[in-house]
Amino acid sequence: MTSVSSQASIDQTSRENDAVAHRATRGSLVAALWTLYVLTLRQHLHGKRWMVMGLLFLLPAGLAVLMRVTSPDVPAPALEFFLVWIFIPQALLPLVALLYASGIIQDEQEEQTITYLLVRPIPKWALYLVKLLATFTTTVILTAIFTGLTFAAIYFGENAPPYGGQNLAGESIPLRSLKTIAIQALAVISYCSLFGLMSLVTKRILVVGILYIAVVEGVLANFPFGIRLVTVIYYSRLVAYRTLTFMVPTPGGGTMQDVAAEAWQLDVRADPGLLEHPQFGMCIKVLLTSSAVCAIVAAWICSRREFHFKTPEKD
Amino acid sequence: MHLEVVNQVARPVEVTPIVVFHEVSKWYGNVIGINKLTLQIRAGVTGLLGPNGAGKSTLLQMATGQLRQSQGSVRVLNRQVWNNPALNRFIGLCPEQDAFYEWMTGWDFVHTCARLSGLRRGEARDAAKRTIESVGMTKNQGRAIRGYSKGMRQRIKMAQALVHNPEVLFLDEPLTGTDPLARRDLMDIIQRLAGEGKSVVVSSHVLHEVQSLTPNIVLLNHGRLVAEGHVRDIRNLIDKHPHHIVLVCDDYRKLAGRALAWDDVEGVRVLADQSALMVETRSPDDFYGRLPALSLEDGMAIKAVYSDDDNLEAVFKYLVNK
Repeated sequence: MTSVSSQASIDQTSRENDAVAHRATRGSLVAALWTLYVLTLRQHLHGKRWMVMGLLFLLPAGLAVLMRVTSPDVPAPALEFFLVWIFIPQALLPLVALLYASGIIQDEQEEQTITYLLVRPIPKWALYLVKLLATFTTTVILTAIFTGLTFAAIYFGENAPPYGGQNLAGESIPLRSLKTIAIQALAVISYCSLFGLMSLVTKRILVVGILYIAVVEGVLANFPFGIRLVTVIYYSRLVAYRTLTFMVPTPGGGTMQDVAAEAWQLDVRADPGLLEHPQFGMCIKVLLTSSAVCAIVAAWICSRREFHFKTPEKD
Repeated sequence: MHLEVVNQVARPVEVTPIVVFHEVSKWYGNVIGINKLTLQIRAGVTGLLGPNGAGKSTLLQMATGQLRQSQGSVRVLNRQVWNNPALNRFIGLCPEQDAFYEWMTGWDFVHTCARLSGLRRGEARDAAKRTIESVGMTKNQGRAIRGYSKGMRQRIKMAQALVHNPEVLFLDEPLTGTDPLARRDLMDIIQRLAGEGKSVVVSSHVLHEVQSLTPNIVLLNHGRLVAEGHVRDIRNLIDKHPHHIVLVCDDYRKLAGRALAWDDVEGVRVLADQSALMVETRSPDDFYGRLPALSLEDGMAIKAVYSDDDNLEAVFKYLVNK
């Protein structure tokens, strides 16, 4: 049995340690979190994942160049709509988010490096949130670079009227590309938050995530039913539609066609102001709030979870 | 029954408990990892001994807050452990798994761990430098970890556990798979830490390793405390059983010839598929004692030394059935 004096001594030591820890906590926690953030970014850079994603993201730019060379008659806005507003948001953005967000915790677990993080004075909820923040950073940078590159591939050298630095609606192309990047960044952040949460509730996140992308975001979001209200792509499309114009000349020339309304099942004939759909501000709020809710729930799950993996002796 | 055995073994002098497990159980689904364990680990060096699957790693993972006990309470430095990240300022863990951020250099890894522990830039730089030097890795600190030998990896793993100057260190099988020289150096490091007043809990399934570090032993088997106390009491039991030691060496045939010439070696079995030998001896102390010299002088290049736990199992059976 421990003697009374030794118990008093350890209590005293504990109190002194707590006092020192309390003094050091705030500043040192910030230093630890910043290091974790940088470490996660470095992990993203050192993996092969960013090279795969880079190649995938180069695809729309490559296709744009190919189309311009082989089919010069295709109008640039049509090319933009197909590549930047169909291909990237429907396939690449959720995929890049899935690949990075699914690894926030699972990669560290699979590589058994999570121990080095768990034995540091960092709360587990903060560990998740910082790694999520780093994931936002990586995916948003990838999205911005490659979306910008795709815009450049579509519009570079298009000096002849009616383009000349503007599209058919008279919008400045650089400004349009910035708005596009902002909308897609918002979408990729939403996807990262969602897939980050999903990765904590299922071990088969890649299978579940790809099914979700294909079925919910890829198919159901394209039907004019209520189900699309739970998809990320619906709100990002609405933000885009309310911010930018998508008028493209028809193949015969002469008339202009609203390609987005048709492709995205927005009934502008019956409801020209899209009053039955959420407004711009509401769409932003929904995307940001749902992202925040996913992040908070995931952080809460993390704070309560044991990250156990088999040690060699149990294999 | 095991309590009687525990009581038979001499207890160490009463000192402050650093780690306290009270009626702790841990289940993994239907599998029990730790079974109603009550244990006090006191300041100083303590060897946590048990065969594979005894619950050593589970115990250490609970003591470092990675796992939550299903029942009972776990306290380290008189604080609850689970979900108490502030406690991690005072404890360090050298985990069993051979996992790293392989692309980092040794310096980078230890420095990053220092920063993750909350040390400021300058402090982290100094601490990393000092710790890497203390584990003898200064010369190799600039190389990528992926190119390190097993011994170097163990040293750098030890450095990350020490870099924030913890009061209590948990070392999970730190000597497993290391070559004789690294093994000796790591033992020196642990003993130096003990000399500096750190409390160290070292797990192992090899009695010889542990007894070289401390006479204070805790024996676990099947998640239960089998015995705790002075090593000599356990030693007496274990020496009744032959000790099996595996030596991995490219020139294992030559090594077999050398080993057979030693009086204390009772038998040698060649494990050709592993380029290894299994040596049977009743004097493991003498045998282990010769290995560093053999590695140095004869250029045998023994890559790894490990002991299976047949002999420990036998002792555990003996203790539990007694």
